[in-house]
Amino acid sequence: MSCQTVREQFDHRLDGRLSGHEQAAFEVHLAGCADCRREWEAYASAWQVLARDEGIEPSFGFAERTLRRLNEPRVDIRQWWWRPSIRWATLATTVVALAVTARVGHERMLNKRHAELYARVQQGEYLEDYDVIANLDQLKGGNHE
Amino acid sequence: MTSSDSDVALMLRVREGDTDALRELIERHQRTVINTIHRAIGDASEAEDLTQRVFVQVYRSAKRYKPTAKFTTWLFTITRNTILNEHRRRSRHPSESLDALQEPRDSESAGWQLPDTTMRDPAQEAVERELRERIKEAVRELPEPQRTAVILCRYEGLSYEEIAEVLGCSVSATKSLLHRARLALKDKLRGYC
Repeated sequence: MSCQTVREQFDHRLDGRLSGHEQAAFEVHLAGCADCRREWEAYASAWQVLARDEGIEPSFGFAERTLRRLNEPRVDIRQWWWRPSIRWATLATTVVALAVTARVGHERMLNKRHAELYARVQQGEYLEDYDVIANLDQLKGGNHE
Repeated sequence: MTSSDSDVALMLRVREGDTDALRELIERHQRTVINTIHRAIGDASEAEDLTQRVFVQVYRSAKRYKPTAKFTTWLFTITRNTILNEHRRRSRHPSESLDALQEPRDSESAGWQLPDTTMRDPAQEAVERELRERIKEAVRELPEPQRTAVILCRYEGLSYEEIAEVLGCSVSATKSLLHRARLALKDKLRGYC
């Protein structure tokens, strides 16, 4: 068993997930490899020493005091602007604002296009077309002849 | 009836508004919850306040509890969310209690009950106290969710699968979190083991 394999098994060994055969091979390797043994001892003892923190006990009457809090108003730790009513109002305002902006923008664009078209007509860009239309009767008459 | 089964039975009664059932659940799990929170935030008085909030939340969310889920997994999920909310609140209002993270209050002087320990000589007791403080610090310094994974695995004995459910990640991600946490603890506790 290689050092790499043994070190990859450290977690399984700590959590008791090695089979009997795997654990035996693990122990044999450690017995013959000082580096892995040192590494394993440091790894395992840091985990085992955590048990020295025995924890605290709740103070006397904890359950009763908790039950008295059941009817307390909810503590809303969120920012005021994240409350549902404010969020919905903000969303509605945003949708209305976007709709109005889109509508106004569309109207402006149409007006601009009309104005541009009118200006081009005024400048005579369509003069040839007007001449054709003005002479249409003559052209038609010419064809009849 | 197993302990887990009766937790579910109690929760079904809590769902109907039975506060006696809630009291039973509190008495059964208060120590687990308060220590999980205390190990994460490091302040005994706040840990007790937050533990009360966890059980109030259990009561208020009882209607959403599905008996298919193991009660303790659900309880730890609420506990973790409460801790995360507290960290968010502290980051928004750092002056309120963040100093407790760096300088934990002496549990005994604050009136919190420590488990009985046999009296040792003062020098040995001082070494023990220093070791316990260093352990608490090392765990608190771990990034979330490594810290939660360590607390649930080492102190509460949850399986990888249960931890994964509380953390909302895969079992392989949980194993990876624990491995990184153990490597970090090995470095942080070097010289204390």
